[in-house]
Amino acid sequence: MTINAHPELPDFEYIRPVSLSEASRFLAEHAGEARPLLGGTDVFVRMRDGFWRDKYLVDVKNLDGTSELKFRETGDEKSPAGLTVGAAVNMNRVMLDKKVCERYLLLSEACRSVASYQLRTRATIAGNICNASPAGDTIGACLVLKAVLKIHGVNGYREEPLSTFFRGPGKTILQPGDIVTAVFFPSPPLKSAGTYIKLGRNTWSDLSIVGVTAYGYSVSKEQSTSQKSDGFNFRLALASVAPVPLIPEAAQEFLGENESGPEVFKEAAQMAADACTPIDDVRGSARYRKAMVRNLTERALLITWEKLNR
Amino acid sequence: MANHRITIKLNDEFEMVDVPANMTLLQMLRDKLARTGTKNGCNAGECGACTVLLNGEPVNSCMVLAVECDGAEVITVEGLAKDGVLDPIQQAIMDHGGVQCGFCTPGILISAKALLDRDSNPSEETIREALVGNLCRCTGYLRIIDAVKDAASRQQALTN
Amino acid sequence: MINEVAKFPIPHPVGDSVPRVDAREKVLGSALFADDLQFGPGLLYARIKRSDRPHALIKKIDTSKAAALPGVKAVVTGEDYAGMMGLYLRDRHIFCRDRVRYVGDPVAGVAAASEEIAENAVDLIEVEYEDLPGIFDPEYGATPDAPLLHPDLGNYEVANFIFPQPGTNISNHFRIRKGDVESAWSECAVIVERKYRIPHVQHVPIEPHVATARVEENGKVILWGSSQSPFAQRSLIAKTLGFSPSDVQVIAPYVGGGFGCKAGVSMEALAVAIAMKLKGRPIKLRLTREEEFFTAFVRQGVVAYFKMGCDADGRLLAMENRFYWDGGAYTEYGVNITRASGYSSSGPYNVPNVKTDSYCVYTNHPVGGPMRGFGMPEMHAGLEQCIDELAHAIKMDPVDFRKINCIKAGDTLVTGMKMHPTGLSECLVKAAQAINWGRKDPPSAPHKRRGKGLALMWKAPAMPPNAGSSAKIALNEDGTVTVSVGGQELGQGSFTIAAQIAAASLGVPADWVRVATPIDTNYSPYEWQTVASRLTWSMGNAVAAAGRDARKQILDMVAKAWQENPDDLDIIDGKVISYKSEETISLKNIVIYGIPLPDDQGWIGGPVLGRGNFMPSYVTGLDPETGQGQRAVVHYTVGAQAVEIEVDTITGKIDVLRGVAAFDVGKAINPDMVKAQMEGGFVQGLSTALFESLNLKEGFPQNTSFVDYRIATSSDVPRDIQAIIVEVPQDDGPWGARGIGEHAMVPTIPAIANAIYDAIGIRVGAPPYTSEKVFLAMQDAGLVK
Repeated sequence: MTINAHPELPDFEYIRPVSLSEASRFLAEHAGEARPLLGGTDVFVRMRDGFWRDKYLVDVKNLDGTSELKFRETGDEKSPAGLTVGAAVNMNRVMLDKKVCERYLLLSEACRSVASYQLRTRATIAGNICNASPAGDTIGACLVLKAVLKIHGVNGYREEPLSTFFRGPGKTILQPGDIVTAVFFPSPPLKSAGTYIKLGRNTWSDLSIVGVTAYGYSVSKEQSTSQKSDGFNFRLALASVAPVPLIPEAAQEFLGENESGPEVFKEAAQMAADACTPIDDVRGSARYRKAMVRNLTERALLITWEKLNR
Repeated sequence: MANHRITIKLNDEFEMVDVPANMTLLQMLRDKLARTGTKNGCNAGECGACTVLLNGEPVNSCMVLAVECDGAEVITVEGLAKDGVLDPIQQAIMDHGGVQCGFCTPGILISAKALLDRDSNPSEETIREALVGNLCRCTGYLRIIDAVKDAASRQQALTN
Repeated sequence: MINEVAKFPIPHPVGDSVPRVDAREKVLGSALFADDLQFGPGLLYARIKRSDRPHALIKKIDTSKAAALPGVKAVVTGEDYAGMMGLYLRDRHIFCRDRVRYVGDPVAGVAAASEEIAENAVDLIEVEYEDLPGIFDPEYGATPDAPLLHPDLGNYEVANFIFPQPGTNISNHFRIRKGDVESAWSECAVIVERKYRIPHVQHVPIEPHVATARVEENGKVILWGSSQSPFAQRSLIAKTLGFSPSDVQVIAPYVGGGFGCKAGVSMEALAVAIAMKLKGRPIKLRLTREEEFFTAFVRQGVVAYFKMGCDADGRLLAMENRFYWDGGAYTEYGVNITRASGYSSSGPYNVPNVKTDSYCVYTNHPVGGPMRGFGMPEMHAGLEQCIDELAHAIKMDPVDFRKINCIKAGDTLVTGMKMHPTGLSECLVKAAQAINWGRKDPPSAPHKRRGKGLALMWKAPAMPPNAGSSAKIALNEDGTVTVSVGGQELGQGSFTIAAQIAAASLGVPADWVRVATPIDTNYSPYEWQTVASRLTWSMGNAVAAAGRDARKQILDMVAKAWQENPDDLDIIDGKVISYKSEETISLKNIVIYGIPLPDDQGWIGGPVLGRGNFMPSYVTGLDPETGQGQRAVVHYTVGAQAVEIEVDTITGKIDVLRGVAAFDVGKAINPDMVKAQMEGGFVQGLSTALFESLNLKEGFPQNTSFVDYRIATSSDVPRDIQAIIVEVPQDDGPWGARGIGEHAMVPTIPAIANAIYDAIGIRVGAPPYTSEKVFLAMQDAGLVK
């Protein structure tokens, strides 16, 4: 099929609620014809292409907590320690934030890989997550950092772990009326490092043909469940090789059971490649993607391990 | 569809405009405010020809609704020169031969200016990355990159 | 025919890298492009209903719902316009009449009060089709089994140098039969035979097409548009719609990138046709970026068969080529690419025996049109790789192989024409030197492989034998000079060249010269088209002639006033000076008001207006059977590119580390702008080599947006692109100049392909050399797991 987009955005009404309750209520009442609007970088393209024809765009920027970018060094049960990225915080702001770079550098790297600086002035992590594309560049980092979504719906606030958020390409567990207000990242282990390798056609920008996120962190002898002595555990996330952002569980487990090193990484990388189910599409073939998952997972693990050992 | 009345500060002037919800900032600038310096190259946030500064940060104006800009400050290419004196980036890009057809130029100038505002001495790599969202088909980019470096040093000289 | 002025020392500012005349407006954002023109509240907008399938009969079009939509002013279909259109072959209607031949073919048009309403109306137009079997491969299209896409081919008006084959899908068959290829094979020590399938690409100007048309009650047409060819558009549209060319006025402001896609006529005729229904109202038609990718012009794909052989000493003996050009649904312009590639089908080499069959084939694909290089990038992509393979086969260095065989002055070319003085050997040597040919540096990392590659090119301006240029030079009372041309500024710098040549031929400083803009066919002097890299040479000659004409008028006038011999006078820096009496007088005022006689006894002179034209007189026809003729083309610009690359064996990604370009431009009128063309062309070439392909699946374009049609960004270009100017003067160019615009992107694909081979020992085939293609080739060859 040939996409032939319309020259302009279709007709819609722009709604700017003043409170989250109003926003959730409106979205629920107009389920199926209303959509929350953050940066718009996905919404506008899909509307022009004719895929989405919502009657209402509900601007949820500037609502409670959506503009907050805050790191809590210490916390309590109500406000745990960690990083809160409000839904409306643009990716550049996250990318350049001092605390993010200090404690969640992987997240900054992931943001940096998205599109272009001017697109990132509007793009948001929450939007990237809610768009639920398997190619979403920041999703891998969010998954390995154990992100938790703060959601406001018709019944008020709730939290959902990102790991169970995706149901399929473009599909999430969100219900009508739900608005993601923030993405929360628990405090990272004291020693941790990550790498996001994005293979695109151009050197920067582009969507990923394959994206590999590797994250390593130290575990104490007490915390460790395995026999290995080097005290490192790893998490992996893969973009563009499955209907949803993929966590290759078997590969992760393998890494957790075995002494870190090039041979183990090589084997884990093969397991990651075996776990993914890429398709042939205009960006790449399944054959190439599998090979790249293998090669780039190995590479990402080596780079992460090297960072951990510094 | 209802119109929204918005006020923006565009370059050095205040403007009040009635816009439909589905009008982009780019459309408003070109069609309602006759500021045709900012260009439409793709209408999808990919080519950067529509780049303007929105509250000091570069955005693809084709990907921002006009109605979202109520109360905002917008700078377009028309706002770079002051009283006929070119901004260092404008002068530099001319001097380095970084202008050919000129269609990408307004967007490039805005992205470059935003870069120099946040990083007064950018490396070559930083410049390339900062301009990755501005497509040029004519120049091959090298003269533009050189111009940005040059503008950075000219600007530093001005402030010293 | 030696250019008179070339006898004298070259006057400034010829040879000076003066600043562009249009740069300031462009950096201020005040330079006007076609979509920036203001037409007031009366402006209407058009949108087009396009075919959603590659080949079908149109059974029924229901426009009633569209016409009923409030705000819609006109709905038109092909029923309203019977005329046929085409530059070299009239094979297309403005709107389809009985059938659609490609996805995107215009079926109906709407004009409405806003673009939004027009688009909504287009969505309400219902078309009933009867699908027909399609042709998606040009080789297949050339066979007798293939369905006929143009059954009326035999009745189409056609230029006398194009040879359609009625009853087939072949709209042009160009032949070269030089020497005796069959016997020559037996004398070859090695023979290389290859097939290359070069994909479609698109020009990707950053400014999409736009055209605004207004048809007056009195029958006059005004067309404003982003156009490389105002005069060609005038005559083509007039002919198709039944106007007289002088009743069609085309006004073309700055073009935001053309590369050929804004030459000839593509979407502009649609705007005029719709405007005919709404007398007095201006109608604007803009292409979206998506439409830009497939509904105006694309660069044709080609299936190219090469066979070439050399003797044991590395001398090329024979070449046999078959090109099946994927011309698309309409080949009115593309037929000449078939010809141009045919008459240059030896590549820039001296080959005694050549047999070429170049076919333009109709397919149900987007319309192939002129793109920078006009068949040369597509042809050299395969040809220059075969040359490398031959060299390797006889264990000769590819540069040495080319030194022996590259074209030199006096050689008999593939059409029988004699080669004029040329700097190709010099370009080859300099490019090889600059890339440090023969030296292999270690890769930057253990998983990378380094390689170098080189390729040569040649190209002649592809145009009718009588493509003409003209120019006017008016002097103003304040001393400034206004030069009027019909050649367009696409970014290549033609206005600056016009100003420089005007200044040099007159004797005024460069910054005294203004260029009259926009190009307006009512007021600008005629220029065939801004294509073919012909302006510096052809328009330049016309401007120089106009300058000489104005100069003569001035000197005659002043000589009379001073009672001196005009031969003793000169114009230097805007002043007339006498070498004899040492009198001087400024040009100011006298160029308008003349010079008074003493004692109020009258006046000498009058407003000075210089005029000049240029049209080559010596291009001859070619024998239809053999392609042989006295003078096939006006001249060849030649050049070489060399690259150093690294291949990442983990991903297959190609990193171009360095590029070198050396071209013989005859005389660089503005050296910095020549270098800028070499750099920009190298990057556009690199982009087509590494990223670009318009993917067509059963006729459906798959990647019609920037999301999946990628071009080179600022992060993809090498730090170092060295541009080397070689100057072997062209006998009839202004101060020896010839063009460079297209040539700069011709050899990049094979240069990179040859470098890939040097790096990993694998021929990866046809471009684009994406990381996937390279990686899988390495995997298949056992180089990586």
